[in-house]
Amino acid sequence: MLNIENLHCQVETQDGEEKPILKGLSLDVPAGEVHAIMGPNGSGKSTLSYVLTGRDGYEVTGGSMTFEGEDLSELEPEERAALGLYLSFQYPVEIPGVPTITFLKEALNAQRTARGEDEVSAPEFMKLIREKAKQLGVSMDMLKRPVNVGFSGGEKKRMEILQALVLEPKFMILDETDSGLDIDALKTVSDGVNALRAPERGMLVITHYQRLLDHITPDVVHIMANGKIVKSGGPELAKELEAEGYDKYLGEAA
Amino acid sequence: MTATLTHTPAELALIDALDGATGWQAQLREATRRDGLPTRRHELWKWSDLRRAANDVTAPGRMTVTGLETPVTDGAHIELGVTASTGASAADASLVIPAGASVTLVERYSAEAAALGNWHLAITLEENARLDRIIIAPDEAAGVFISSAEITLAQGAHLHQRSLDFGGRLSRIETHVTHPGEGALVDLGGVYLLDSDRHADTTTVVHHTGPGGVTQQLVKGAAAAKGHGVFQGKFIVDRAAQQTDARMTHRAMMLDDRAEIDAKPELEIYADDVQCAHGNALGALDETALFYMRQRGIPAPRARALLIESFLAEPLDAIADETLREDLKAQLRTRLEALS
Ligand SMILES: Nc1ncnc2c1ncn2[C@@H]1O[C@H](COP(=O)(O)OP(=O)(O)O)[C@@H](O)[C@H]1O
Ligand SMILES: [Mg+2]
Repeated sequence: MLNIENLHCQVETQDGEEKPILKGLSLDVPAGEVHAIMGPNGSGKSTLSYVLTGRDGYEVTGGSMTFEGEDLSELEPEERAALGLYLSFQYPVEIPGVPTITFLKEALNAQRTARGEDEVSAPEFMKLIREKAKQLGVSMDMLKRPVNVGFSGGEKKRMEILQALVLEPKFMILDETDSGLDIDALKTVSDGVNALRAPERGMLVITHYQRLLDHITPDVVHIMANGKIVKSGGPELAKELEAEGYDKYLGEAA
Repeated sequence: MTATLTHTPAELALIDALDGATGWQAQLREATRRDGLPTRRHELWKWSDLRRAANDVTAPGRMTVTGLETPVTDGAHIELGVTASTGASAADASLVIPAGASVTLVERYSAEAAALGNWHLAITLEENARLDRIIIAPDEAAGVFISSAEITLAQGAHLHQRSLDFGGRLSRIETHVTHPGEGALVDLGGVYLLDSDRHADTTTVVHHTGPGGVTQQLVKGAAAAKGHGVFQGKFIVDRAAQQTDARMTHRAMMLDDRAEIDAKPELEIYADDVQCAHGNALGALDETALFYMRQRGIPAPRARALLIESFLAEPLDAIADETLREDLKAQLRTRLEALS
């Protein structure tokens, strides 16, 4: 489903210099599987999520990334979204003045239009969002507020998953969705993610800690260090990391 | 002053158009004859060079004003259409809002290509009167349109003004308010949205002459490449105007590096016990928010329009009349979708 081959990516820093971050990353996530990426801070996990979704300033300088056979690097962010690529942001963005409900309806209908599907009517949409909000314990009151404005870290993460439930993407990238969540919220959010597990859907779960993977059991765990995947294995790899830390991989990657 | 001012064709056309005029129009004619049209050398026009903007005007034109026959009584809704044809023209009117009356005044301006239109309104609000003044300046033909108003409030009077300006070759909305304090309230709001080669100038002076006056002002704008926005706001607080509470904010968004926005917020305070503040902030579109919206599938132009609309709409949200509020917001939305 998602195929990444020897991907190299650089960002432009604030002083206008090119900084290589991904240095030959390869990864395949077949439909129906959940893969976890674990790695120390600064190893390039968020960079991977941005280059996959097409953020400005993240330039592919080598290798390839395809989604269901389509070359992603040629597509605009909104085109990738319409293909079904969804990023749950590590730091969800505040959009003052745009109510969450309005935003989500715009997004859903824009994606549907791009795929040649009919728009969802206002009553249909309200029914859909009520149902999903209930599932995630989000009040309708919160949905009327501007996107992420004044929400706590945990509420923002909850909203990211709510948006995924409404948009039903084919592939989800969760970038540190567990950070900022207390135990109860972690459970609710994980239940939301697990509800989206399906044979036709892939997921890439980026995390720093084992604890999210206690709730969302991955099929494969990858360890990322210094812009590359340095080791892959089963769920037990995450447990091993928890016990031993990243130190031994940092040496290998340098 | 030298006696050898050489008039431009536009100045000659305006002087000609106002031959035999009286009142404000006679003053305009005399000022034009004596000094010419204002240029960047005039402090109040330093970012809006009228002489240059009018350099395609060669003949007298006509200014048509509709709606003046509506009686100014409590509950009145007055719709003025002010249209400047090609060429130099002027018109003026005066209105008195009777004591205790509440009146809505809507002014819709348009100026044809190669127009230099001058519109002046003198408004008096008697005691406890309320005026909601709404100004809409669309830009279809991109002429020059100068609106100026002298508004005087009596005790307890409330003025709520909102302008929506899409600019023109040069569009200027100038408002002078005399604020007596004593329970009177002045609430000025404005929005400008400028596509390329559009110029809009919002100039206001609020003169506080008596104690305890409240003034609030919020102007928001956005300019695309080669759009030029100007904000000049001045609060004058006389020594007699103790306990004045006056706040001015201008916030604008440069949609491109080649946009130009000039702002001069000014406080001139002679009283010592007042609360006065002004703020001015220029920014750009939030690229992070733009990416977030696109990641959710909203196409870039639509995402941009939504972000700009949510930034600009605030002053319009306070328009009391719902039909008018929705009308202005719809116009803003339409214009945003067409933005280059
Ligand atoms: N826009 C940027 N400008 C400069 N450096 C960046 C930028 N984005 C990421 N980096 C750097 O790239 C490295 C990887 O960052 P990131 O992908 O956020 O790592 P992770 O998510 O694994 O913590 C870090 O050293 C970070 O400072
Ligand atoms: Mg990160």
